[in-house]
Amino acid sequence: MTALAGLLLAAAVQAAPAPATPQTIPAHPDALVFKPLAYTPPRAADHRVVLKNGMVVFIAEDPTLPLVDIVLTVRTGGYLDPAGREGLAAMTGAVIRTGGTRTLTADQLDERLDFLAARASTLIGETAGTATLNCLAENLDASLKVFVEMLKEPRFQEDRLALAREQALQEMSRRNDDPEDIERREWNVLLYGEGRTPNRFTTEASLRSITRDELVGFHRRYFHPAGMIAAVSGAFSRSEMIRKLEAAFSGWPGARPQVPPVPSEIATAVPGLYRIEKDVPQGRVSIGLPAVKRDSPDVYALEVMNEILGGSGFVSRITRTVRSNEGLAYSAGSALRFGIYYPGAFRALFQSKSRTVPYATQLVLDEIQKMRDQPVTAEELDTIKRSLVETFPTNFESKAKTVALFAADEYTRRDPSFWATYRDRIQAVTAADVQRVARQHLPPEKLIVLVVGDQKEIDVGDGKHEAALAALAPGRNVVTLPLRDPMTMKTPAR
Amino acid sequence: MRGTLHRPHVALRACGILLLLASALAAAAAAPRPGIDVTELTLPNGMRWLLFPRHESPTVSAGWVAHVGSVNEREGITGISHLFEHMMFKGTRTIGTRDIDADLKIIAEQEKVRELMRAELKVMRERLRRGEIDDLLKPENQTARYRELETQFDDLVARQRDVIVKDQMDQIYTRNGGQELNAFTNEDMTVYFVRIPSNRLELWAWLESDRLIQPIFREFYSERDVVFEERRMRTESTPLGKFDEEFNALFWAAHPYKWPVVGWASDIPAITKAEADEYFSTYYAPNNLTGVLVGDFDPAAARALLERYFGRIPRGEKDPPEVVTVEPKQLGEKRYNAEAETPPTVRVWWHAAPFVHRDRTPLDLLSDLLTGRTGRLYKGLVLGRQIANEVEASVDLRKYAGAFEIEGVVKEGKDPAAVEAAIHEEIARVQSEPVPAEELQKIKNQGKASAYRRLSSPFSIAIQLLYYDGLGEWKYINSYAEEVDAVTAADIQRVARAYLTKENRTVGVFLRKAAPAEPPPGGTP
Repeated sequence: MTALAGLLLAAAVQAAPAPATPQTIPAHPDALVFKPLAYTPPRAADHRVVLKNGMVVFIAEDPTLPLVDIVLTVRTGGYLDPAGREGLAAMTGAVIRTGGTRTLTADQLDERLDFLAARASTLIGETAGTATLNCLAENLDASLKVFVEMLKEPRFQEDRLALAREQALQEMSRRNDDPEDIERREWNVLLYGEGRTPNRFTTEASLRSITRDELVGFHRRYFHPAGMIAAVSGAFSRSEMIRKLEAAFSGWPGARPQVPPVPSEIATAVPGLYRIEKDVPQGRVSIGLPAVKRDSPDVYALEVMNEILGGSGFVSRITRTVRSNEGLAYSAGSALRFGIYYPGAFRALFQSKSRTVPYATQLVLDEIQKMRDQPVTAEELDTIKRSLVETFPTNFESKAKTVALFAADEYTRRDPSFWATYRDRIQAVTAADVQRVARQHLPPEKLIVLVVGDQKEIDVGDGKHEAALAALAPGRNVVTLPLRDPMTMKTPAR
Repeated sequence: MRGTLHRPHVALRACGILLLLASALAAAAAAPRPGIDVTELTLPNGMRWLLFPRHESPTVSAGWVAHVGSVNEREGITGISHLFEHMMFKGTRTIGTRDIDADLKIIAEQEKVRELMRAELKVMRERLRRGEIDDLLKPENQTARYRELETQFDDLVARQRDVIVKDQMDQIYTRNGGQELNAFTNEDMTVYFVRIPSNRLELWAWLESDRLIQPIFREFYSERDVVFEERRMRTESTPLGKFDEEFNALFWAAHPYKWPVVGWASDIPAITKAEADEYFSTYYAPNNLTGVLVGDFDPAAARALLERYFGRIPRGEKDPPEVVTVEPKQLGEKRYNAEAETPPTVRVWWHAAPFVHRDRTPLDLLSDLLTGRTGRLYKGLVLGRQIANEVEASVDLRKYAGAFEIEGVVKEGKDPAAVEAAIHEEIARVQSEPVPAEELQKIKNQGKASAYRRLSSPFSIAIQLLYYDGLGEWKYINSYAEEVDAVTAADIQRVARAYLTKENRTVGVFLRKAAPAEPPPGGTP
C-alpha cells in the first residue's frame, strides 16, 4: 500500500462508520478515528490595556504557579547606534542591568535581586530592546520596585561599563573560532550588505570609544513607558496588577520618545558561489536569497512551499534527499523568514564532510529546481496543511506565550486579523500556488551559495559523482572571501 | 510556523541544564511546596508509567526512557546507544514499508554484502597498522574489492527505495499535529518524546508500542553515516569539541563514562546491524523502560490505553547486565594542557557523587554558592581580582558517578595560573569558614523560585520526569524542596572538604592557538 493510498483509506474509514472498537488494536494507525478538536484562539483585544502614561499592556491571570512574569519590549535597537559608536545600544542594554540604580550600587542591585530570587534581564538587540522580570508572587512588590528603578534610573557604574566592555571584546576575539559563526555572519553580509542593518559590526575601536555619558544619553532618549509594550502574566488579580503597574511606571521623566524607523534598504551581493577557508573536516553550506516581507500576499503559499522543500524535518524534501536517503549530513533543510522592516530570507543549509560538499550542494539545487518545475503532490500538500492547522494552538499554549505574542504583534504593528484568519489562509493554498511562488521567489540564477570549510579537500570531491563546486556557481561567479580580522572586521587586502 | 530545521539528536549531556535549574529551596516551612501530583503505575510486563494531567493547552507531552546509554557500551561499539536512537525512527514491520517481505529480503542481501566488506576492512586495518595507509575513511585507501562491494551495496539500497515509505512515522505524526518529535541519548539513558494534540493519544500509543514490538532497522548504514556527520559537526568542527572529549577521557580512569556518547571515530563506522539487534533485545524490553504522559488527558482512560497497547509487549527474557565498574579513588592531581581556537580558559573537575547519593543536594548548593553573578567565584575572580571575564560552577551527577566542575575564561593579558590559584583560594575559603546565614538563605530562596519555574511548561515537566527517572529517581522533581531545606552550612563545608581536594581533581588549561600564517596575497580565486 502506498502512503497515498493509506491516506485515502483513512479518509474512507472516517466517512464510513467502520472504526476499530475500543478494545481492539487496528492493524494500521490510519484506521484510528479521532474526536474533532475545536479551537478558537484568544483575542488580543481581550488582554489589551493602555496605562495613563501611554504604555500598552497585554495582561493575563495565570494561577498555575506562584510566579509573575513581566516582559517589556522597548522601542529602540542597535540600528540607532551612531556611526563609529557601533555597540552603544548593546552596551546600554547590558549595563542597565549590571550597573546599579540611583539608590543601589551595582553590587547591591545584584544582591537584592538574588536575595529576592527575582530574575531580571535587559538586552538591546538589532531592532528592539527587552527587559524581563520573573519573580515569586509573594515578592512582587519588592521585585517590581527594584526592576522599575533599574529601568528608570540606572546608575551606569563606570567599573561595570569597563567590565561589560572587556567581556564584549573577548567575545569579539571568538568571532572566527567556530565555523558556524563565520557562516552566519557572512551570510547576512551577502544578503543585506556590509554596514547595513543587521550588519553594523561592533569593532574594538567603536567599543573603546563609547563613554558612560553616551549610555546615559541613549537610555534617556528611548527608555520611556510610552515607548514600551508590556506582556504580564502570572498569579495576580488583573485589576490589582494594573493598579500596581500604573503606580510603578508613573512620574517618568522625559518626553515620549521619537524613534526613527528601522532602515528598509538592503544591498545584496551579486549571485554566485562564495568560498571561505576554514580548517575543519566538515563544510558548511548555505544557499538562498532575500525573501519577501511579511505583508506580502504570498506568505502563506511560501510558508507551505518552504515546509515541503526543507522546513519540516523528515517530511521535507531536502532532509529526505540529503540526510535520510544519502546519509550526507546530520542537519539538512531550509528556513524561510519573512521580513518585518526589511526583506526576509530563504536559506537552505546543510553540513557535510568536505568531499561530499559538491554532491550534496548539487542535490539541494536540484530540489529547489524541482519545486519550480513540478507541482507538489497532493499528499505533501495535505500533510503540511494539516500540520500547520493542527499545531496552531501551541502558539497560545501558555498565558505567558499568549501575551508575549500579542506584545510582539503590537510592537511590529502586525495586521490584527492575522491569527483569526491564519488557518483558513493556509487551507486555501493550492499546489499551483506553491509552484507559482517557487517560480517567482526562488530563481536559480539569483541564488547565493556560501561554503565555509576546507576548500582544497572539498574540491577533491567524493570520486563517485561529477559535481564540481565551481560548476554549480550561479552565473559562474566564484568569489573567495578572506576571513575578517575579528577585532576590526576588516578583510586583509586581496 | 515551526522553527525546527532538523531533528537535533542530542548526543552530548543534553539535560545538564536541568540540574542547574534545580537549585535550593525555601526556609518558610508553612509555605506551599513546589511539586506535582504524579501517578505511578507498573504494567505486568514491568514497564513503568508516570502520569501527570494538566489542562492549560489541548496537547499531551508524551515520551519514554530506555535505561541504556553509553555507560552500557564497551570499546569497539562506543556510540551504539546513540546510533540506536536514530534507528528507532526508521520504521517497523508495518510503518515504513510497502512490502515487508521484499524489504526484509533486501536487508538480508545487504547484510551479506556488508559481511564481505567487513572482511575487507580487516585487511585495511592491517594496512593502517603497518603505516601503508593513513585513514580508513578515505576512498583512495579502500581496497578495490571493497569499492566493488560498495557499488553492489548501493544497488541494493536503490532497490530497497522502491519498497520503503520514507520516514513514515514522521509523516504520520506531522499530519496529525505532532511536534517536537525527537530523542536524545546521554551516558545513562535514551529518551524519546513528542507533543501531540490531546485527541491523538491513541495514535501515539499505536506508533510507540509498535516500534517497541517490531522495529526494523532499515537504512542502517546510511544512518550510520548520518551519525558520523553528527560527530563531525558537534565534536570535530567546533572549537573545543575534540578537546572536551579528550579531557573527559583523562578525567575517568576506569568508568565507562570515559568514552564519548557519540562514540569514538573508529567505532561508529564499525558498528554492525547484528550488534544493534542484540542491543535492542537486551535493553529495550519493557522491564527496562519508563513512560511519561503530561498534559490534557483523562488518567483512567489513559491507563486503559497504556495497558492495551504497551501491555502486549513481552517482558525481556532476562534483565540487562548491571554496570559494575566503580571509578577507583583518584590518587593524584591530573593535568591537561592544550592549544585551541578559544580564549585562555581554566577548567577544574573533581570526582563527586552519583545522582542518588545523599550528598547530591549539599553539592548542588555548593555549586550555587560559587556560581552566578553574586556567587563567590564571580565576585572573587571577575569583580574582585579582575583576572577573569566569566566563571561558573556546576555539578554533573550521573547515574553511577558524578563530577563537580568549575570553568573560568581568563581576562585578556592575565595569567591562567592566577585564575587557577584564585579558584583554589575560593574553594579553601568555603572549606575553612562556614557559609554565613544570609548567604545560605539567598541560595535557598533562589532554589525555591527555581523549583517553581521548572514546573512552568508541561513539555518541560515531561522531559524532567524522563530525565530524573533515567538517573534513578524521578521523585527528585518533588523532593528537592525538602532536601534543600535540610542543608546546613556545616553540610556545605563538609562536602567541600570531602570532594574538592587536590588529589581528586583534574585541571585543564586551554591557551589560544596561534593563527595560521597569512595566505599569500591574491590566493586562488
